[in-house]
Amino acid sequence: MKNLYYVFKKCVGCKTCELSCALAHSQSGELSEALKEIKLSLPRTTVFAATGENYPVSCRHCKEQKCVSACMAKALTRDAATGMVLHDENRCVGCWMCVMVCPYAAIRPNRKIKLPLRCDRCKDKDQPACVKACPTRAILWEEEPEPKK
Amino acid sequence: MKQFVIIGNSAAGIAAAESIRQNDKSSKITIISDEGYAAYCRCLISYYLAGEVSEENVVYRPESFYKENNIELLLNKKALSVDADKNRVTLADKSQIGYDALLIATGASPKFPQGIKGLKNKGVFGLRSLKDAKDISGLLPTVSDSACVLGGGLVGLKAGYALNKRGLKVKVIVKSSQVLSQMLDACAAGLIQSKLEENGIEIVMGADAAQILGDNQVKGIKLDSGKEIACSLVIVGKGVSPNIDIGKEAKLKCAEGILTDNHLQSSVSGIYAAGDVCENIDVSIGKTAVNALWPVAVEQGRIAGANMTGKACLYDGSVGMNSIEFFGLPVISLGVYEIKNDAASLEKLEMFDEKRGIYKKLILKEGVIIGAIMAGDIRNSGLFLSLIRGKVNVAVLKDKLLLENFSYPHIAGMTKEKEQMYV
Repeated sequence: MKNLYYVFKKCVGCKTCELSCALAHSQSGELSEALKEIKLSLPRTTVFAATGENYPVSCRHCKEQKCVSACMAKALTRDAATGMVLHDENRCVGCWMCVMVCPYAAIRPNRKIKLPLRCDRCKDKDQPACVKACPTRAILWEEEPEPKK
Repeated sequence: MKQFVIIGNSAAGIAAAESIRQNDKSSKITIISDEGYAAYCRCLISYYLAGEVSEENVVYRPESFYKENNIELLLNKKALSVDADKNRVTLADKSQIGYDALLIATGASPKFPQGIKGLKNKGVFGLRSLKDAKDISGLLPTVSDSACVLGGGLVGLKAGYALNKRGLKVKVIVKSSQVLSQMLDACAAGLIQSKLEENGIEIVMGADAAQILGDNQVKGIKLDSGKEIACSLVIVGKGVSPNIDIGKEAKLKCAEGILTDNHLQSSVSGIYAAGDVCENIDVSIGKTAVNALWPVAVEQGRIAGANMTGKACLYDGSVGMNSIEFFGLPVISLGVYEIKNDAASLEKLEMFDEKRGIYKKLILKEGVIIGAIMAGDIRNSGLFLSLIRGKVNVAVLKDKLLLENFSYPHIAGMTKEKEQMYV
């Protein structure tokens, strides 16, 4: 299974990944149009500055899946075939249990529409939009390493 | 082939059944439920009552789930007793089921305070089961437009919110000096209270119901001050108590809940407990407690289930936590939420931005976070939970913890999380 990894030394904090993410998840896919959408598309990845470096943060689709266990509405499920954590917007009630338990704070509340924001790895596309967009190639889209024994 | 029996068909029972099936494809699994439905999302019943969630979306596991996983589901059956010597469960209809390993996941029941007269009147409800929500909902067209909720805890406020959404005039009667006194301090509770009041829910503070009025049908309530309030619906949200009777009778060690070890096994070998009936170590207070919470129940069920099959999975305790949102104000509470007078060794970090409606507080003990309240900005709650669970010393981060840009990279490598993010 592929995951997103960040070469933080290469990250300059330009937030192009955030913009490309929001755009990729907007209705229109065009910046000028997307900004006018009622349900404004927000980025599902966030770049933070800490200890003098820049670090993007995104959902890990963890094996431990704390968010799936915590989801009292069964909106979050783990897809056995792909290993991805999927979110069913129709079932979600916006209770923020997933936000409460995510140890990476990678699930962020979109309070306006009462839905959590989290990386879906642009699941319908060949690779995540942020990977293509990153001008410094700081985002890797690679197979997960074998678990450490 | 073994026989696994699970009493209880909600979060813990289902998680245990799934976990058993994952480890053991062939043994028999029987789930006994005293309710009449396949597993549903218990925490959604107030949303269902509010009309915000359809019955279809309340379903947690459809009937097909039991067939697909070869689980026998016994509905409307009450497990009465357990014979721990003969490994047998006896049901109310006198039938008996033998087991190799048993999980007690009987949950909890609403407390109906003894002192209040008239609790048996028609129109008085708890709000614990889907049946409660349906019964209340079914009654709404026939009752007047006013309701009283007894108790300002989570269930009480969620019930009040739901009835408000259904167009009723709601008064919430709160005995203590604040709402949500079991999960929030006065400041965060004040923010919630204002939000509820702004939206038409009346909070009557420092009062308790002395009597439910009416001969058969509820006509109102009488407060301990003598004041009477007319209403035709009363929801009792005075907390819940774990359904430990079956465990007590089987001579399992119990405190508030059924006491379990670090494998979630009770004091009797082969009998496990999980969910709202289970008492185990609370990481933030360092003592045993019943943390009756959906995520805790799922985790306990999963671990208990694995252990029932003979795997040795350790359970490292829970943290009391809750996430709520009323009328657009989200609030999360974790662990110890208040410094009581006697705790001089505890330290408090807080910020309050009244204009933006943001309040954050952390409680530290010897450099380790043991509790947090986040109101209006809940984004970093998961980081604090992880730091509480990991008992991480955050002394070097103290000035950063409550800053807007505090984030996972600040604590990467300090907690127990295993997923890689950076290269």
